[in-house]
Amino acid sequence: MAAIVETDQLSSRTGGARVGLCDICDIRGVSICQEFGPREMAQAESTMARRAVARKHAIMSEGEPNDSLFVVVDGSFLLSKYLEDGRRQVTGFIFKGDLMGVRPTDKSAYTAEALEDSLVCTFSHHYLNEVATSAPGVKDRLIARGQTEYHRAQDHIVLLGKKTADERVRSFFMLLAKSVGTDPGDGRIEAPLSMSRQDIADYLGLRLETLSRALATLKKIGFIEAISRNHVVMNI
Amino acid sequence: MKKQWLKYLDRQAPRYTSYPSALRFDGSVDAALYSEKLRAVDLYEPLSIYVHIPFCRQLCWYCGCNMRVENNYDRVRAYVDALLDEICIVGGVVGGKGRIANVHFGGGTPNILVADDLACILDAIERELGLTDDARLAIELDPRLMRKGDARMLAELGFDRMSLGVQDFDIGVQWAINRMQRFEMVAECVSDMREAGVDDISFDLLYGLPKQTPQSFSDAIDKAISLAPDRFAVFGYAHLPRMIPRQRMICDDELPGVEMRAELAALADERLAAAGYLQIGFDHYARPGNALAAAMGEGRLHRNFQGFTDDVAETTIGFGASAISFVHGVYAQNDKDIGDYQRKIAARTLPVARGIMRTARDERCAAAITRLLCDFETDLGAMFELTPEAEQRRIDQALAALERDDVIRRRGAVLRINDGARSLCRVVAASIDPWAHTAQKATRETAKAV
Ligand code: SF4
Repeated sequence: MAAIVETDQLSSRTGGARVGLCDICDIRGVSICQEFGPREMAQAESTMARRAVARKHAIMSEGEPNDSLFVVVDGSFLLSKYLEDGRRQVTGFIFKGDLMGVRPTDKSAYTAEALEDSLVCTFSHHYLNEVATSAPGVKDRLIARGQTEYHRAQDHIVLLGKKTADERVRSFFMLLAKSVGTDPGDGRIEAPLSMSRQDIADYLGLRLETLSRALATLKKIGFIEAISRNHVVMNI
Repeated sequence: MKKQWLKYLDRQAPRYTSYPSALRFDGSVDAALYSEKLRAVDLYEPLSIYVHIPFCRQLCWYCGCNMRVENNYDRVRAYVDALLDEICIVGGVVGGKGRIANVHFGGGTPNILVADDLACILDAIERELGLTDDARLAIELDPRLMRKGDARMLAELGFDRMSLGVQDFDIGVQWAINRMQRFEMVAECVSDMREAGVDDISFDLLYGLPKQTPQSFSDAIDKAISLAPDRFAVFGYAHLPRMIPRQRMICDDELPGVEMRAELAALADERLAAAGYLQIGFDHYARPGNALAAAMGEGRLHRNFQGFTDDVAETTIGFGASAISFVHGVYAQNDKDIGDYQRKIAARTLPVARGIMRTARDERCAAAITRLLCDFETDLGAMFELTPEAEQRRIDQALAALERDDVIRRRGAVLRINDGARSLCRVVAASIDPWAHTAQKATRETAKAV
């Protein structure tokens, strides 16, 4: 996989007080790894790899096999697929804490491309299935903890069903707030915008110009307080 | 043209812009069936949208379209309101699914609409069905209504394919069809479009018009070529005065005979080829760099209601009076009468009047005929699997006759039209179409095959 620029396979070290990557992982509380007990955690660490994925590189490609489960530790991804007419359809966004590749496949239905330099932990499904034999249900619980590509697909159906451009854009920002928003303490919500305007427009089924108009409206009514190329402040 | 081919020139053959042809549409498709199909559209299924604007300022006497002369814009505006409502009703059923690849405005005369109304229609489509910048927007234009600045306005609305109804440049012919448009007017139109950045301009030409002679038509073609459009569509005029009363304005004895029609068609072939246009299917021509030529080169050429196209979206949703939709094997045509159409919309119902549901056998015939018309070669194997033996024998006989006459070559189930005989490809298509004989009677949908 040429797309992955750096592979950081963690060797399991024995003895001594060591700090594993997982111990300092800031999404651990919300993520898959929460489900692991200490023994499984140690095992997980030995079979897990943390990978850096450079911006614009794909970690999964449409039509290619994939047998890893990915946990996004940092960064974000764009999910897309090619339509019969050769155009690319943006089908969703995957944020920090989300999971991808929750089912092993011979032919991935989509491509997942890093929107920024990102970090993922990868677990082989093979290993997860092994864990599941000693701890039944653990895999399902793992997956149930996070937003997966399947949740994101559902999000998309809901969004596309909204009947005005303003509503669609507003719902998108709500989603963003829920996924990666932070509250600096004054009730406003800030969120990074790692995707381009064109990506957002394609995702929402809107023309770029319509998106711009909707953004102007949302600004006027105060829903969006400030927006730049890669950052947004909202009043929700 | 070989002597033994002359007898085919007078044959009637469907235009095959749909299969089954619209002649077979009946009441079996109604609003309920159509909405069931619309509901089943996939989340990212490519969609083609057709919007019919059935108004013109003036009547062309050759016209066989569903149109009405309308000079009161209030009535046009009322129709636009109905269109917006229809888009909204359909959008409610489809529920945000599908992804639009193409939008085509046809008519009538779509540029009878003011910019605001065109924008409203596009906005409604975007709101109800989704519209992204990579969709191609095409519009048919009457050059007589194009004012300075219109091309730019249309380009700003997103239209990137424009086709101009040119027909013929000869003044005598223009008089005889009641469509006066000076060469300079069309030239100016083209230069405005180019200035606005439009890089896909198409001309419609018509042969078989009253008063046309090889000399006049060849001049007209040369003039058209001098304006360097990106593509041409060259249609044969279908004179059916019994079916289409307005065509009675055209004197029968001014019309070129069948042999001259063939000569005129061949002239267009020759001239356009010499000017570097590639022949696309049997009546389209495109410059080598054009999307249509690319589609042909890659074997992606298709046929839809607009003729030959590079549009791969099989699913078409039509809006407006008489518009035909095709969704998952079902053709559904809206009411033709503008009043009926508007009344149904006012009652918030889908204005489906008739249609047909394709059978598995139709499906295979459609595929065989499409390939034949697009590639001049087709494999009948799949179609024959579902064709009763008696029918197969009839087809075999018809094909044997065509082969004797040097129109086609056949090897097993594969059939190829000989190079010089391409203009007869609708005749060949009709011979493998089990339903063509029911279409033999001259009607709107069938016309002289050449
Ligand atoms: S412009 Fe076209 S639709 Fe209108 S009258 Fe002329 S041929 Fe018919």
